[in-house]
Amino acid sequence: MTDQACEKYLEDPEANSAHLRTCAKCNAEAMALAEKADDAPPSIDLDALPLAPWEGSSHRAWPLVLGTAAVVAIVALALLDAAGMSPLHVVEGSLTSMEVLRTQLNRAATSLRSASLGAQVAFGVAFLLVNGLLIALLRRAPRGIDA
Amino acid sequence: MRRMLRLFLPLTVVAASLVTAIMAGPPGFGRGGALTIGDATAMLQKTAVIAALLAVWMFAAVALTLLSGREIRYSSVEMRASALHCFALGLVAITSFVLTAIVFSYLIPYHLGVPLLFALGVFAILTKIYGTIAVFHAIGTLIAGARTRDQLAGRKWLRGDLVMVVIGVVILGAIRLIPIVGPIIWALASVFGIGTALATKFGRREPWFLAYRAIES
Repeated sequence: MTDQACEKYLEDPEANSAHLRTCAKCNAEAMALAEKADDAPPSIDLDALPLAPWEGSSHRAWPLVLGTAAVVAIVALALLDAAGMSPLHVVEGSLTSMEVLRTQLNRAATSLRSASLGAQVAFGVAFLLVNGLLIALLRRAPRGIDA
Repeated sequence: MRRMLRLFLPLTVVAASLVTAIMAGPPGFGRGGALTIGDATAMLQKTAVIAALLAVWMFAAVALTLLSGREIRYSSVEMRASALHCFALGLVAITSFVLTAIVFSYLIPYHLGVPLLFALGVFAILTKIYGTIAVFHAIGTLIAGARTRDQLAGRKWLRGDLVMVVIGVVILGAIRLIPIVGPIIWALASVFGIGTALATKFGRREPWFLAYRAIES
């Protein structure tokens, strides 16, 4: 059998399938390819794979969640009652701490305004450096899922 | 190693709380001297305030996990996968918030500082809340999360994002009640949380900045 016939078969195997009956070499290659195609893909043991973070994540155990939240709320209310405080006191305390923070911030800004030019420039440089570092760190892509 | 860690972590917490309570407690606790009524009242009020804040954290954590559980999970996974990056980012972000707030306060006389300061405050508070809830999820998963599929299938209640967050709140809340050590650990958790929230863009895993690429002809 000529190479020309083999090439013709390779160009269009379906149209020239009769060539296989006359050429032992092409027939052997076709048989080998068919055997490879029939091989089943290697089986994957799913249980051997590590547990993905999303597996079972949508489950909601409401009795446990509501029970724990209720216990925490009851303990908090009981302690507030024993200490002679109302929940409003806690809110007021939080607002007071915010007020303290605001006062400290205003004090820092006032001292910056009254500081020497050198100190103001140093503060500006520190501000730019820290924010530049923040931007550099924010540029890194998260790797959690691929880790 | 993890088994050892799981065993030793609660023991360490208990031991640290006992030592800290003896060292930092009022004079009446363990070292002689009488505990006055004023000391006891102050301690009770402090504990009551912490417990009330924990209850608020619990409800906020449950609500946010119901609204965006997947984002919280992504952030939690990121924190466990690259803890050092999240911590460094948190430290830098807090420093940046403080310096930026001082700059905005500097701008208050020019009528520009107030809205900027308000926006920064809202952003910082939201970042802290989201990040701390991601920390709750991470701690809950580290301590009580399933390691294998068989373990997961055998569990009826201890599975799912919501339960992991609740367990995290309870554990961190219990640690928060320890004098001296509690606030420090809570502050460290906040640093981790802020870093994680920013590193994952609030669990959306999108880049903060667009990359410029020239069009190829």
